[in-house]
Amino acid sequence: MKFINLLKKELSELINLQMILGLVVAMGIFMILGSIMDTTIDEAKEETTNVTIRLCDRDDTEYTQELIKSIKEDGNNVRLFDTDGDDYAAILKDNDIKDLIIIPEGFTAALESSKRPELITVSRMTSAATLSNLNVGTSSGLALIKDRIAADVAQKNGMSEQDYAIVENPVVVRDNTVVDDKSAEISPSDIMSKIAIQNAVMPIVVFVLIIMTSQMLMSAVANEKTDKTLETLLSAPVSRGAVIGAKMLAAAIIALINAGVYMFGFSFFVSGATDTVTEAAENLIASTMSVDEAINKLGLSLGGFDYFLIGLQLFFTIMICLSVSLILGALVNDTKNTQSMIMPIMMLAMVPYMISILADINALPGVLRYAVYAIPFTHTFMAIPNLMFGNRLIFFAGLIYQIIVFIVCIFFALRIFMSDKIFTIRLNFGQKSKYKARKRRQQKAEEQKK
Amino acid sequence: MSNVLEVKELTKQYSKVLAADKVSFTIGEGEIFALIGPNGAGKTTTIRMISTLLTPTDGDAVVAGHSIIKEPAKVRECITYLPDEAGAYKNMTGLKYLRFMAGLFLSDIDALNAAVDRAKEICGLGDRLEDKIGSYSRGMIRKLLLARAVMTKPKLAILDEPTSGLDVINAIEIRKTIKTLAEKEKMSFLLSSHNMLEIEFVSDRVGIITGGHLMVTGSADELKERYNAKNLEEVFERVVIENEVH
Repeated sequence: MKFINLLKKELSELINLQMILGLVVAMGIFMILGSIMDTTIDEAKEETTNVTIRLCDRDDTEYTQELIKSIKEDGNNVRLFDTDGDDYAAILKDNDIKDLIIIPEGFTAALESSKRPELITVSRMTSAATLSNLNVGTSSGLALIKDRIAADVAQKNGMSEQDYAIVENPVVVRDNTVVDDKSAEISPSDIMSKIAIQNAVMPIVVFVLIIMTSQMLMSAVANEKTDKTLETLLSAPVSRGAVIGAKMLAAAIIALINAGVYMFGFSFFVSGATDTVTEAAENLIASTMSVDEAINKLGLSLGGFDYFLIGLQLFFTIMICLSVSLILGALVNDTKNTQSMIMPIMMLAMVPYMISILADINALPGVLRYAVYAIPFTHTFMAIPNLMFGNRLIFFAGLIYQIIVFIVCIFFALRIFMSDKIFTIRLNFGQKSKYKARKRRQQKAEEQKK
Repeated sequence: MSNVLEVKELTKQYSKVLAADKVSFTIGEGEIFALIGPNGAGKTTTIRMISTLLTPTDGDAVVAGHSIIKEPAKVRECITYLPDEAGAYKNMTGLKYLRFMAGLFLSDIDALNAAVDRAKEICGLGDRLEDKIGSYSRGMIRKLLLARAVMTKPKLAILDEPTSGLDVINAIEIRKTIKTLAEKEKMSFLLSSHNMLEIEFVSDRVGIITGGHLMVTGSADELKERYNAKNLEEVFERVVIENEVH
């Protein structure tokens, strides 16, 4: 009953307008980003499926006319423009287009005299975003023109169609990917296109969990200390264990709600991209094997027990955060210092998070690898890849290490809370030196008086 | 008059500082006892030990028959503690705060409601109890906390600097409340203050503490007579000088 009373109080302290607004804003941002992503990807998809090649034939010879006709006859959508001059910005603006291929004067003449003819491409760049600068019309048009000219040159020089096909595409590549002792006929990039974005969600959720849990509990303890409400609370007939337990549980509940909202929001954001990328990959390898089949064959899919293990590791990660935050919160003497005290936890989360995005932690060189392993949060960021790629020994070693770290941290946290230290321990940022300086000044003044 | 509190040679040694040195005194039922002394004299350390927040290095204190060393949980059921310059949860309304604190002492819902009603009456904050504590003035918070400290009718209410930082009117109101509760409800109080004139008005007996030592105890009149002083400030000055001479 008393514990429920304490828990309700802790939750009501943490659930405030600021927290709810933060969640709503985060959710809104993810949803807006998701719909923008969806629209952009749809536009890009539209661009790649309904390609329009915009051409301007300034050479206007029998050969170029024939070239354009043959491209059209192959089922391509070609739009012709009549332009002159080299004010390309004005050309794109006047014709309200974003790209154009210009066949300049002398194109046919150059070909006939066995020289490499020139082509001019003009593309409008509107931003630095990857998807907004896709000019499929230009790249497709160039490829078709090059292909056609190469075929003509080959024919002119007496090469058979069969030989030309080999020159054009000399080898057939059969990609195989091996994971542990299993293999599947698929390229690693196809697998990555499916799992990379999905796996990006977990580290972000873990990062949010670590930072939010720590900050909430640390602030809760620091505020109670500075407002002296902790003294009131601990002199009431409730056990110190119940006070700490309620604080830890409330922080964990709120952190999980936050993580859930972030996970849902981020999934919404990436779902469009994942679906499109997977669809593209499926189309490319439809003749051999689907990406999902390949992932199953390679043993990269996670089962129910794997998700239980990931959940268990996440649980111990939160428990480590909570116990470390209890210690750091007890050391804070001023609520303003809470922000500084969160830095060690933030760095410990940031280092493995960044490394896990850029590199395989298990493949880092010796000393560096063990240094990163020593950070308890590393094992949470590595949980999914370790289980996916069969590194179960490293996973379980990490889990055991996290349990040990938690036991050590909670031991020290409880020692502080159960003893006088909770009221006497403190870290004074710069206060000691100020105190010493003041004392020196006082001593000097006294000596002068004498 | 039976003793509600018996402090026996209570000692607290921090790494280099002897904060309380063999402090001994008693408080009877319905008695207001005040520990007076300058800042850093050992008042708060002594009070925190009696409140079971700090563990004594040596000695013991017995509250309503329970030792602070052997039965701290039982002691906490008999006392309430109001720390110096204490705050309250700013996001809670005054009423919610009183209900929360009453819930830590009482399980029975009727007793809980009665305690909250009593606190409402004592604090005199009226409709402002529906507002968040963050909007309260310092005086209002102190009244709320004092009401919280006495609403459950503890055997011993421990109030550290109960009127510190308050204006004259608020301080007078709080002193009157303490006196009324002791006289009419036989509640015992252990106060601490460095404001000796205030203590002379409110307390039945005082203990002068300095440098961790409890120098002398007695009623204000007894001490003034013994030290031939006009007020407690003069008593304190003479006690300190006497101690330095010895």
